[in-house]
Amino acid sequence: MSIFKKFMQFSAVSSMLLLAACGGGGDETASGTEGQADGGSGVVSADIGVISYNSGPGAAYGEAITNGLKLAQEEINAKGEVNINLKIEDSAGEQDQALTAAQKLINSENVTAIIGPTLSTEMNVVGPEADLSGVPIMGTSTTAEGIPQLGEYVFRNSIPEALAIPASLKKAIEAYDVKKVAILYGNDDVLTKSGFDTMKATAEEMGLEILTIETFQKGQSDYNAQLTKIKSLNPDLILASALYNEGAVIMDQARKMGIDVPFVGGNGFNSPEVINIAGDAANGLIVATPWFGEKEDPKVQDFVAKYTEKFGKAPDQFAAQSYDGLYIFAEALKNAGDSDRDAFRDALAEISNFEGILGNFSFDEEGDVVMEPTVLTIKDGKFQEFNE
Amino acid sequence: MLIEQLINGITLGSIYAIVALGFTLVFGVLGIVNMGHGEIFMFGAFIGVLVTTTFGLPLWLAFLAAIIVTAFMGYLLERFALRPLRNHQGSNHLAPLISTIGVSIFLENLSHHLFGPGNHPFRTPFAEMSIEIGSVTVYLVQIVIFVISLILMAALSFWLGKTKAGKALRAVAENLETASLLGVDTKKYITLTVILASAMGGIAGILVGMAFNAVTPQMGLSMGLKGLAIIILGGMGNVKGAMVGGLILGLAETFIVVYGDSGYRDAIAFIAIIVILLVRPQGLFGQKTSDVRR
Amino acid sequence: MLAELINPYYLQVGSFMLINIILGISMYITLSTGQLSLANAGFMGIGAYTSALLTIHFSLPIPVGVVIGAIFAGLLGIVVGLPTLRLKGVFLAIVTLGFGEVIRVIFVNWESLTKGSVGLSGIPHMGRELLKTVKELGFEPKMLGLQNNQFIFMAIFLILLVIVIFVIWFFKRQNDSRIGRAFSAIKLDEQAAESMGINITYYKVLAFAQGALLSGFAGALFAHMLGYISPADFAYHKAIDILIFAVLGGSEVIWGPAFGAFFLTLLPEVLRFISEYRYMIYGVIIVVMMVVRPQGLIDLNVVKWIKRKTTRRGLKNGTGN
Repeated sequence: MSIFKKFMQFSAVSSMLLLAACGGGGDETASGTEGQADGGSGVVSADIGVISYNSGPGAAYGEAITNGLKLAQEEINAKGEVNINLKIEDSAGEQDQALTAAQKLINSENVTAIIGPTLSTEMNVVGPEADLSGVPIMGTSTTAEGIPQLGEYVFRNSIPEALAIPASLKKAIEAYDVKKVAILYGNDDVLTKSGFDTMKATAEEMGLEILTIETFQKGQSDYNAQLTKIKSLNPDLILASALYNEGAVIMDQARKMGIDVPFVGGNGFNSPEVINIAGDAANGLIVATPWFGEKEDPKVQDFVAKYTEKFGKAPDQFAAQSYDGLYIFAEALKNAGDSDRDAFRDALAEISNFEGILGNFSFDEEGDVVMEPTVLTIKDGKFQEFNE
Repeated sequence: MLIEQLINGITLGSIYAIVALGFTLVFGVLGIVNMGHGEIFMFGAFIGVLVTTTFGLPLWLAFLAAIIVTAFMGYLLERFALRPLRNHQGSNHLAPLISTIGVSIFLENLSHHLFGPGNHPFRTPFAEMSIEIGSVTVYLVQIVIFVISLILMAALSFWLGKTKAGKALRAVAENLETASLLGVDTKKYITLTVILASAMGGIAGILVGMAFNAVTPQMGLSMGLKGLAIIILGGMGNVKGAMVGGLILGLAETFIVVYGDSGYRDAIAFIAIIVILLVRPQGLFGQKTSDVRR
Repeated sequence: MLAELINPYYLQVGSFMLINIILGISMYITLSTGQLSLANAGFMGIGAYTSALLTIHFSLPIPVGVVIGAIFAGLLGIVVGLPTLRLKGVFLAIVTLGFGEVIRVIFVNWESLTKGSVGLSGIPHMGRELLKTVKELGFEPKMLGLQNNQFIFMAIFLILLVIVIFVIWFFKRQNDSRIGRAFSAIKLDEQAAESMGINITYYKVLAFAQGALLSGFAGALFAHMLGYISPADFAYHKAIDILIFAVLGGSEVIWGPAFGAFFLTLLPEVLRFISEYRYMIYGVIIVVMMVVRPQGLIDLNVVKWIKRKTTRRGLKNGTGN
């Protein structure tokens, strides 16, 4: 027993030392940033924390998001009205890591506000914590239901599925005279499951007959069984709530099997990668998106050119949303005139009719998005605006 | 529809069977469950993508490259993760299992960094060829997969049962020390086994890439776990069992989609092994040995 | 003074560390009879979901939910353990791995209860509930010079610390008892143990159920610490995370997995760049450990060495005082 006691004493002492040492470091950075914020001459300076999915299976999302942010930061700081300092933390797509990252940003780095995390699951954990600490937090890619309702300090600028899916489904029904649909979705992923819930509700609301509901799981590569079943039921349209990786393969296998009806997808399905993976089989996909890289808006084209030059690939929706997100933050910061968290939160909530690369953007009273999505379809191997 | 679904099930089942053959060969000879096999299979698929889609080279070259690379990976796995464990006298029988789990998560994440997390298409004209039988479309790939799985099974049975090398392998499987006393170069045969199994994994990888046009770093894990379930279902170390087990699982997974709830598709394999281990621990084709039971 | 020292970030990391230590110990207990169970992530999920659902739907107090969650996981451990423990090591590992996956698939598909992969949100939060309670009693964190969130995380950390100390104490004592000796006899040689009159089925099921109970317990605490859980939290990778605590730290003595959990939770926080390569490093660690030091970093000799060191230091301190 005495050994046990001694060991506990030893470990208690060492952990105290550890805490003290770390605590000291934290204080230093904290006081450093305060000085920076006050010392500026008319220029508002602020530290903005970023929690992003930078490693692991979804690292591609995090990469696009941080790239978009870095580009926006460069431009904003060059203008000289506000000065934004990004503190990027990795969450690896896991809730516990996202939470520790948030704690670090909130308490050690003393950031004014946070952008991220990438996934809705992570936001479900981080949002309430940020709200409790009074730190404004905005997701740029969290599309599941109920995110802005987590708290007064929780916002998002990504259009929720509840906005995107009805928009695309409505246009598809008009164009193709759709009566019967089949639904296929990934049931072990939050994004696709939440997208499915919206799809089902929307389809029922619009009086469509749902022939069958099929599911698939992550890592599956064979969708033939589900598709054969769907084919035999002869739907007019297939609602597929899938991430683009799986979605593209599903379309490829469907077309090979002779299913030629259009597909309506959710947010996760919208990516140029669909065309890369599925080729001609991707034709006939309909998605609603806030982001359309081919839009003839000089702002959009400027962004695409700069991004492509800097990072060597075309921006996707995630990059565009985070880019706009930081601009929204800069705008709020300018209006607040101070890096105080509460002042910033109020200024952020006031944002309306903001003209970004995604279009005209406002927050509603809950911190959710008010915006008109563009409906796109893949035709002749590329995304085009859907107007038939 | 029923015939189409039957074809789907057999295709999936044949692929499972080839993956399971790799597992069963290693287990049969070494008594080791090689958890890294699924990831080697995945690397085989990626080599196929690189050769055919990225470099635009012909398909036979892809098979050759995949076999060479996965065989080499098998060698490395044996050399660094298995052989050193054998030298530990009286080492824990769980050590090889845990060590190959290490190999599997290392390889899975390595492929994330090498190839990116996304899905890679597998473009080869061969994958597009199909024949119409009545209203049913059968892709040539599906037939090839079925035939290759049968050939591999037959070849493996013959090789193990009839050739000298096979007899040596069975001697190793029976008792390592006795075999080496009898003059069998055990080190050589053990390495050969792992290399052979890995190469079969590589072949399976390319076949999956062609059949489903989908190659991702995650496919190794799910396929590996299924392969594991199959060898338990069919009987550990039993070649025929792996084949039949694979087909049973492929058909079961297909028909739960047809008649049941596709959400439980992934659970079938595991429910099956839990049931079989409780009811008939030696598997469908296994012989009762004291080894399987406690 | 106190307020400056208490940074929720470090407390948060510390709290995850403590939960991981419990998980590491749950692995150790089953391993101490020579059985490798990969179902601990699944049992963790059972504990987490049970407690979360009970506290959400029946407004049970959190401690009650946690205890029921743990017991339920333990009972399930008995039900699963009884038939499967007839199987030999490797087979047991595979069946438990399969069992963990089946649990996850059930969480995903039983939507009416678990909300599927969307996950359960709004689970009562340990620290926030405690804050509410003490506020009702008229206590304000400000009295200690603390902010609300500092209080919350300190409370969680201290509660977990007490729990972990108790768990370690309990299993240390068990190890030195008849049960512990039976466990190590079974680990050494099952047949010999049986011939010595040890009821090996009883002890193996006991160890398995204790491991399940402890995982469920850790899972329930995890649920009330995050306030949100989803099936993905309890997947294969979690099972590997738990396994590696015991592989790196060692499974001969209880300090092994505790050290493994401590070290591996700290590592990605201290060296952030490692986080990207975390699983690759884990893979290498597992292989290297199995080859070089299969008993883990901390074995009996290390413990003896530390013991000698600390007693010597203790003596020195003693004379100094």
